[in-house]
Amino acid sequence: MPFAQRPEPVAAPPVVADVIRGFAGTRPRVPRPDRWGLLVTVVAALLLLPVAAVVLRLGGESTAWASLVETLLGKYLLNTLVLVALVVAMAMPLGILPAWLVSTCEFPGRRILSWMLILPLALPTYVAAFVFYRVPEAAIPHLVKIRTTFGVDAFLAAELALRYGLLSLMLAAVLSPYVYLAARSAFTRQCRVQIESARLLGDGVTRAFLRVALPAARPALVAGGAFVAMEVANDYGAVHFFGVPTLSAGIFRTWFGSGDLVAALRLAALMIATVVGLLALERLLRGRARYSAAGADSRPLARRRLVGVKALLAFSVCLLPLTVGFLYPVARLGHWAWLHLAAEGFALPEGLRLGQSLGLAAGTTVAAAFLAALFAYAARLRGTMPRRVFLSIAGLGYAIPGAVVAVGVLSVTGAVDRLHLPLLPMLGGTVAALAFAYAVRFFAIPLKLSEAGLERIGRPVEEASRVLGASPWRTFLAIDLPLLKGPLVAAAILLFVDLLKELPLTLILRPAGFETLATTAFSLASEARLQACAVPSLLVVAAGVLPLILLDRRLGTGSHHG
Amino acid sequence: MLSESMKPGHFLRRILAVFAVVSFTGLISASELTLYTQRHYEFDEKLHQLFSERTGISIVVVKAASDELMARLQSEADRTPADLFLTADGGGLDRAKKAGLLQPLPDPAIANAVPATLKDADHQWVALTMRARVLYYSPDRVKAGELSSYEALADPQWRGRLAVRSSSNAYNQSLMAALVEANGAEDAKAWAAAVRGNMVRPPQGGDRDQIRVVAAGLADVAIANTYYLGLLATSEDAQDREAAAKVKIHFPNQDGRGTHVNISGAGIVKASKKAGDAAKFLAFLLSNEVQEMIAENTFEYPVTTTAKRSELQKSWGDFKADAMPFSVLGERNAEAVRLFDESGWE
Repeated sequence: MPFAQRPEPVAAPPVVADVIRGFAGTRPRVPRPDRWGLLVTVVAALLLLPVAAVVLRLGGESTAWASLVETLLGKYLLNTLVLVALVVAMAMPLGILPAWLVSTCEFPGRRILSWMLILPLALPTYVAAFVFYRVPEAAIPHLVKIRTTFGVDAFLAAELALRYGLLSLMLAAVLSPYVYLAARSAFTRQCRVQIESARLLGDGVTRAFLRVALPAARPALVAGGAFVAMEVANDYGAVHFFGVPTLSAGIFRTWFGSGDLVAALRLAALMIATVVGLLALERLLRGRARYSAAGADSRPLARRRLVGVKALLAFSVCLLPLTVGFLYPVARLGHWAWLHLAAEGFALPEGLRLGQSLGLAAGTTVAAAFLAALFAYAARLRGTMPRRVFLSIAGLGYAIPGAVVAVGVLSVTGAVDRLHLPLLPMLGGTVAALAFAYAVRFFAIPLKLSEAGLERIGRPVEEASRVLGASPWRTFLAIDLPLLKGPLVAAAILLFVDLLKELPLTLILRPAGFETLATTAFSLASEARLQACAVPSLLVVAAGVLPLILLDRRLGTGSHHG
Repeated sequence: MLSESMKPGHFLRRILAVFAVVSFTGLISASELTLYTQRHYEFDEKLHQLFSERTGISIVVVKAASDELMARLQSEADRTPADLFLTADGGGLDRAKKAGLLQPLPDPAIANAVPATLKDADHQWVALTMRARVLYYSPDRVKAGELSSYEALADPQWRGRLAVRSSSNAYNQSLMAALVEANGAEDAKAWAAAVRGNMVRPPQGGDRDQIRVVAAGLADVAIANTYYLGLLATSEDAQDREAAAKVKIHFPNQDGRGTHVNISGAGIVKASKKAGDAAKFLAFLLSNEVQEMIAENTFEYPVTTTAKRSELQKSWGDFKADAMPFSVLGERNAEAVRLFDESGWE
């Protein structure tokens, strides 16, 4: 994702760089322990440990697995596949059409919509589920009519279709920003030239969209769709409330219901395989076709002006995902929160620990962002081959469901605690263990952005600093870290929002008496105290919205530059 | 060359300061008891406050499903912060005892007013409240004579008419364990498959949601615990209060072994070094005053012979309770889960 940078560092002309490099090469090298290599290895190993623990346990003894394969496995798999397929199928148009409209057309409300369309990102799927899962109750009179008119079977089918349809639409709307962001940046930047050429050649709007823009944007759209698929497969809260038994629900049930961790982990492996399989399928379908962006031209696309019915239509198309995925749920939560606060004399619900939640998220964010920058920098100091390996190891956790990372961290802290090392306090059930698990799960975010940032800075500035006698450490602190401020702030924002929303991992690992906004909201909703649950839910959303606005400014493709 | 804010020391110090401040927020503790509890009732928070006011001992709560908490107690072993383990299910208490996670009460006399069937013979746990798992029905669509036992819900006449929550839930697992004990495994499995087949929708939500679905007219009969009727009738939500008015309770199996009852109870965690304070808390919960407060507020039945039921509870009627020991529910739990899996009841 392209990030608006502070002024680009002045790239030294190649000749100068060569001279400096040659000069650096003539300096006598003093052999000393490779501390940077050690740092990279230790961090990568720490992040890999929980994942390795999980993989090792896959082959363990399982009592429940055999009967699981015979009984519920098929159901879990089918439900997961159907739900993923439905949600992705709905999220694509919900993301692509508004992205196309805001980047190629001009209509009233376009500017504000173009950034508001990312707001659903701030709404965790489980919070949306609190709002939506009782909506089908309104349809009960109709269902009863179907039952009396057409019989029980028609009624059962209608009930199923209604629940699945609503859950899919809700998830698609809430997750649509992943597709929207990918599509918007593809349409405005990469495909600008193709789209304008198609227009010059006399293609109509629809034709330009179908024949040129969509195929050219395909890699970006697939990436967006993949995020949606992963989020759906990973979701625990929403499927729980809608009673759709997916693999992710099966993991919790198998682990806690029959206490069979090995069987639960095998389900998790299957879940990851499902997502990877879907991605591979897309690659296969894409075949040998290659789509390249013709020139990284950042001039904005000339937008055609829509008026009258067309403008209204465009506005409505953009409003749909925004309404379902943000405006309606937030309005509903706001109403509930108001009712609750008015009844309780505006006291926050008991058990709500705002400081704990924000403190943990902020602390982990700062530490992880700093560490990721250091890691990316250190990895760069170490040649090219192992660097790739280390970078992908450190980013592995992002592809693994939160519940599974939690199990891995539990295995690691349990093993360390059983050693009874002197001076080392117990790790299991501590804030430190939870923060570590967050780092394992989300390290990819600051890492990827730091890496991209360092790529942009390039080596000349850094080499100049080294040539002038600064140590790598001083160079990192004085040159790279300040220059990385842009990407790091963006990473910190994304990370902070993700940490505040995180549910399954936190549910499993939170220490005694420790509650985040997410766990408080989830437990209140589980007790069907929806009015009380609206307060922490809204706080999660609010904490997510503010950084998203900042992020949009940084992304710079929204209203401010468009 | 470098501006003031870009100097390495300055930047690093700022980061470290922020990190240090946030890391230590909210980590300060005082004299307290840590509860690992499956109980999830708003009123419990008020009881904890009352206890703290009277004794100066504050209560820290970790809420989760009982299996989750047991897994945690086992992995934390002798370094657990937990002092008390509370479940909303007698079977869970017995499993915790058998797993060696509990210690005997320092003074068994605090549970003298609790009948022998509602506490452990070795004093490792004691019931705090009791509830019956009953049938809720819509009087408009079901005649009282049509309902008899849990077993009768397997009849095809109930197709598309039942609402029951997931079999992951401890209440259902204990009911299933009781059915296995009473009728044998094969029978119980066939029953679960038939009931699942009669459900109006795949299991979803909690007991409250099943009752709501009956009130709303989607299902005709739900299986749920007694106290939810009281909670709905006194809810802050007007829809809940309307729902409570639209359903009635039937106590099943009155002509046979009696209605399945379960308890919410507690034991002192073996590794706890605060057994004295923990026992104080249990004695507080078993006092007549608190037992009757619970009957009036969470609508669970009192467990002591001296405490009185609330008026609302009396209006639901008297019933014969199944006298099956809770140790049986604990022993049969794993089998019950397996049979549920095999029956297709997710």
